[in-house]
Amino acid sequence: MTIAAAPVMQSDLNQCRILIVDDESANVLLLRSMLEREGYTDIVGLTDPNAALAAFVESEPDLVLLDLMMPGIDGYQLLEAFGRQTRPGDFRPVLVLTADTTTAARRRALSLGAKDFVGKPFDIVEVALRIANLLETRVLYRRLQTLREAR
Amino acid sequence: MRWIDDIVARSGRVWANQPLAVKGVVVVALPLTILLIALLSLYVASRAEARAEADVRAAFAIQRDIHEVHALLAEAASGVRGYLLTGQERFLAPYIKAEAEIPAAFARLDAEIRDSEVRRRFDVVTQLAARKREGLAALRNIQGAGTREALARPDVLAALVANKAVLDGLRDEIEAMQAHESDLLAARQQRADEARARNLVLTAISGAVGLLGSFAAVYLFSTGIVRRVQALEANARRLERGEPLPPLPVEADEIGRLGAKLEEASLLLRRREQALREGEERFRLVIEGVKDYGIFVLDPEGRVVSWNEGAERIKGWRAEEILGQSFATFYPDETRAIVPPRMLATALRDGRAEDEGWRLRKDGSRFWANVVVTALHDEVGRLRGYSKVTRDMTERKRAEEALSEAREAAVAANLAKSEFLSRTSHELRTPLSAILGFAQLLELDKSQMSARQTAAVEQILKAGRHLLALINEVLDISSIEAGRMEFWPETFDLRDALTEALELTSPIAEAAGVSLASELPATPIIVRADRRRVVQVALNLLSNAVKYNRVDGETRLRVVQDDGWTRVAVMDEGPGVAEAAAARLFTPFDRLGRERTAGVEGTGLGLALSKRLVEAMDGAIGFENRTLPDRGAVFWFELPTHVSPAPSLARQDI
Repeated sequence: MTIAAAPVMQSDLNQCRILIVDDESANVLLLRSMLEREGYTDIVGLTDPNAALAAFVESEPDLVLLDLMMPGIDGYQLLEAFGRQTRPGDFRPVLVLTADTTTAARRRALSLGAKDFVGKPFDIVEVALRIANLLETRVLYRRLQTLREAR
Repeated sequence: MRWIDDIVARSGRVWANQPLAVKGVVVVALPLTILLIALLSLYVASRAEARAEADVRAAFAIQRDIHEVHALLAEAASGVRGYLLTGQERFLAPYIKAEAEIPAAFARLDAEIRDSEVRRRFDVVTQLAARKREGLAALRNIQGAGTREALARPDVLAALVANKAVLDGLRDEIEAMQAHESDLLAARQQRADEARARNLVLTAISGAVGLLGSFAAVYLFSTGIVRRVQALEANARRLERGEPLPPLPVEADEIGRLGAKLEEASLLLRRREQALREGEERFRLVIEGVKDYGIFVLDPEGRVVSWNEGAERIKGWRAEEILGQSFATFYPDETRAIVPPRMLATALRDGRAEDEGWRLRKDGSRFWANVVVTALHDEVGRLRGYSKVTRDMTERKRAEEALSEAREAAVAANLAKSEFLSRTSHELRTPLSAILGFAQLLELDKSQMSARQTAAVEQILKAGRHLLALINEVLDISSIEAGRMEFWPETFDLRDALTEALELTSPIAEAAGVSLASELPATPIIVRADRRRVVQVALNLLSNAVKYNRVDGETRLRVVQDDGWTRVAVMDEGPGVAEAAAARLFTPFDRLGRERTAGVEGTGLGLALSKRLVEAMDGAIGFENRTLPDRGAVFWFELPTHVSPAPSLARQDI
């Protein structure tokens, strides 16, 4: 049985590093609480979007939870910047969480590289499930990466 | 002498009324007839002359013959005397000759003499000549001729004397006869001379009459044909020049009829011309009198050639000031070089050119004009110029601008309102997101909480969700009003959407103790609309019908299909809608009957949003209170039925 063939367990997901970027500290706290309740431990929360890119580069998160409407540098610009900082072929999912639920916003975010989109206010159970799905893919990708490097 | 004039006039009319053929015959025959008569008289005269000459010749012949008889007898007598004296036979020769020739001479005379006097004398002469001849015959037969004795014999002497007497008588008679014959000859010669003279005169007269006849014919030809044809020609020329025709005498022949027709044609032409002139005059008066439109004519180069009162009123120029000038004068500097030639070119190409823009008055002020230029062509298609109709639209233009500004301001205000609502909704969502999120988080761990805490969390969630629904509906309405609502039309079976709405309603119906019934048709109802929005509207009507129903009441959904339309009606058994409230039913933030429905949840935006959604999908929405004995209201919405080919249905129809 190879590593890649092993099922992805909740424990595997819980080891993943998650970066939260939202200018509302209440939202950061809500997401953090929800994630901790789910068993996640490696969580970085930011309310200053200007620090987000540096955190993305330094901490190399497995998943980013990103708000769009923020003062200064907004979510779209960050999406573009994250895209530039990601190696080609690398899978570093970004889940967009925003109060702007229009189709235009949805399309724009997804076209800039966001892997999923959830409108605010959101159902925390649903958001938790989406996060788990994205991280599952991330974990499988990382295993594939390790296999390639081993060869 | 009026009667003479009368006759002349009447005969002239009779002559003029004859057909041309008759006139031609008369004109040709008249001189010929006169000439014939003259020739006949000439012939008669020459015959008379010839007869007179023949008479003269006969008289000469008679005289000659009488003279010859006398001479023959005289020579015969002297011959016989000679013979008597000499007894020589040779003296008898004249006698013998006379005896031989006299009968022939008498026969000739007998044939020639016609005059009775001469005849009587001729008879005497004939007797005397016969006695003479008998006497001479007796003397010749005397025995002893040439002898003295014979001469001396008394009987001979007596015979000689008798003979002499007969000869004298004969001579006298002949002389008388000759004298008479001479008289006759003279008379005849005179008669012949007279006949000749008369003949000469007659010839001259005949010639003159023939000439006169010719003149008469020419005159008749002239009066009957030539002069009238000339008059006709003159009339034709007048007709050509459009002058009135002097009336020609009414005559029945071809020329007269032609003249009459010409006159009719002239009258007709004049009547038409008159009508045309009157029409033109009327038209001109109308054009000139029009005050609200500047109507004028341009020549092919664009110079003004006519001007009306309206043009003067609108543009300020008087006719005499502007005639001959280019219509480019009316254009302000910035368009003068471009627009006028383009207008003419367009009018020439398309027949007509229309334009709206600023134009100049004489005083330099501007007015907003609507201008129509029409190309004018003559009947052979040659460009004669252009007509130009100008309207002063300044007032309308100002009104339009004011209206436009007002509209823009209203739109801007509305946009600002929508923008504000939209932004506010976003701003509200963000904290609400935290409230609902944390409440949900607490709810997930309710096993660790007391009953009171759990109830509190439930209240937070309930209020938060209500607030969220309110915010969403406000956002939807403001999006529709700002024109930013996005619709995703698809073709679907309306029954499915309604079933979905019914299923979503059933929990609250159950909770409210209201029964839910539906009457959906057996065949698909294909519509093209935003399915999610249709469900939203149906859900709104159904939940209202549940909320405002009586306890143990019924909410019934019914579908009625009409030509091209499908109506979805939702009936309740509640108190119905108060008349005073009906007008505000679909207005935002106007929740009705708050007092009677205390405790009923709702944003008050549902119907307003539904109305906007349905109308945005080309549908309609409305309500009626149910008539007694039924209670409650019927809320309905209609959508156009999609008419695209539905193969399965089509097959069933066959």
